[in-house]
Amino acid sequence: MSQFSRLVRIARTDFSYFFRTKWLMAVLISLSLSDMLVVGLVYGRLIPTKFAGLSYFQFLVPGIVVVGLFSAATDTGRRIWLALREGVVQYYLTLPVRTGGLVGAYIISGGLGGIVYSGALLAIAYFALSFLGTSTIPIQGIVYALALIPFLFVLATGIAGLAAFFASVSRRGEIYWVYAQALQVSMVTISTVFYPAQTIAQYLPAPVATIAEYNPLSLAAGVLRNSAFAGNPLDTSVLTNLLATSLPLAILGALAYWTILRNIRLKGKP
Amino acid sequence: MFAVETLNLSKRYGKTDALRGLNFTVNEGEIMVILGPNGSGKTTLLMILCTILKPSSGTAKVVGIDVVEEGTKVREVMGIAFQEARGFWRHKPSSILKFHASMFDIDPAKRQDLIERTMKDLELWESRDKMFMHLSGGQAKRLETAKVLIQQPKLAIFDEPTSQVDLRGKRKIWDKIRELRDQGSTVIVATNEVREAEYLADRVTILHQGQRVVCDTIPKLKDAIAGGDIVEVDFEDPVSGKLVKDLNGLGGDVSLSSEGNQLRAKVSRAEDWVPKMTSASYVAGAKIASIRITEPSLDDVFLHFTGKALAGQP
Repeated sequence: MSQFSRLVRIARTDFSYFFRTKWLMAVLISLSLSDMLVVGLVYGRLIPTKFAGLSYFQFLVPGIVVVGLFSAATDTGRRIWLALREGVVQYYLTLPVRTGGLVGAYIISGGLGGIVYSGALLAIAYFALSFLGTSTIPIQGIVYALALIPFLFVLATGIAGLAAFFASVSRRGEIYWVYAQALQVSMVTISTVFYPAQTIAQYLPAPVATIAEYNPLSLAAGVLRNSAFAGNPLDTSVLTNLLATSLPLAILGALAYWTILRNIRLKGKP
Repeated sequence: MFAVETLNLSKRYGKTDALRGLNFTVNEGEIMVILGPNGSGKTTLLMILCTILKPSSGTAKVVGIDVVEEGTKVREVMGIAFQEARGFWRHKPSSILKFHASMFDIDPAKRQDLIERTMKDLELWESRDKMFMHLSGGQAKRLETAKVLIQQPKLAIFDEPTSQVDLRGKRKIWDKIRELRDQGSTVIVATNEVREAEYLADRVTILHQGQRVVCDTIPKLKDAIAGGDIVEVDFEDPVSGKLVKDLNGLGGDVSLSSEGNQLRAKVSRAEDWVPKMTSASYVAGAKIASIRITEPSLDDVFLHFTGKALAGQP
């Protein structure tokens, strides 16, 4: 068996671990669906304003999808932390796969978790729009959404990388949770995930607006709104920026996790 | 070629030397038991052999492959059952074994049968629907052993394979380990349990403070102790000073002590000394009521070679 197929098996096993954590799934799904189907639909009726040609529901849902992707991808950090502290990582280190392959497997699994979970949310949103008759989805929107999958996957690996980084530097579980919460608050708050860029520029200092504009979550939410919901062609510059901001995060996380594995080989502990 | 060979192997954690210039070999197809108290370097040695740890200096080879230079190749030919069971918490035992089998290229056509048979052999079948996190300590430990059994690696390593396992389970695991050896695997078992070592070992290596103290078969190790056998003789009358003097004059490495009607002798080889002793007693007119011969335990061997008792070591 090749190194690659072993890597894929490890990624698949770790990926399945995410969906086996039933309490986490229940929390994530109930939060996402209540945001989408209660807040989105109800507020959509209350707020008649159009945002760049989109209803409030169409504006909000890409944000929920991106936050879903973020939450699923950051779970990689929790799994890495558990594997490090419970010794499962030492079992992994006895398998015939290179250390780099092991690191790659975790990052890929984080990417897969993010894309599968957010993809399901997107499908539910399309279903809600079509069957509840709030608005229509252009057929190109669905095609663009499919074309976006690789880019969203890279974004999810970047977030998984960040989570891996925090898991690697956290000595205690609660410290990891603090990092993860801080990451979520900063990345989701300073972004255009839930409000338009113009609003941020209007009320917040210019540097904050710039950070929000180039935040990969903002870029992902923007491209989903513009193409997957409004049906406009994909903007290649946005996609390039999405890759350019996500890849370094994935590399940072991979390096941090690789360093931890190296420390285990040298010191016997993370 | 040795199945395992280390040369001047050292491992240092901060200021602590876990291994100190260890030279150690294991022949192909044997069960080598590494005996030593906690902190003697057993687990560190195993962790180096299975490539989790890098040595601070020296070399270690598994079936001729360097563990540092070609770690991935070493991992293809070895399997380890950890002292503390390690598994995916939310997976069932069969999923864990399937994953493990797939990582070591076990024929998919035979995989399911092999897993089922091994789980039944180790009495894990009834727990097949439990998640790993709900297994008892003994069940998790047997699952750890099952991983290595289905893998049938060239080098199988078991770190305290029966700690937390009940007596019946211990015997089953020991029999499966011997079966693994009979099928061609080389086996290393690290333990501080004397019974386990006695039951399994083709040879025993005693480790103490990160160094190899001695390595040999159990009978040879026991024979190597001065007073290798213990003979207890009950006489019908109190043991006389003259008899003790006569017995001391029989020659050989012997240590005698007497109390009332009983005489206790530590001798190198009981089979040589007892006939001489009975003749001498007959000549002296001392009537023997009973004779008991016991071997020294591995505890005695350990005490002899290290100056410390194996049991109760920190």
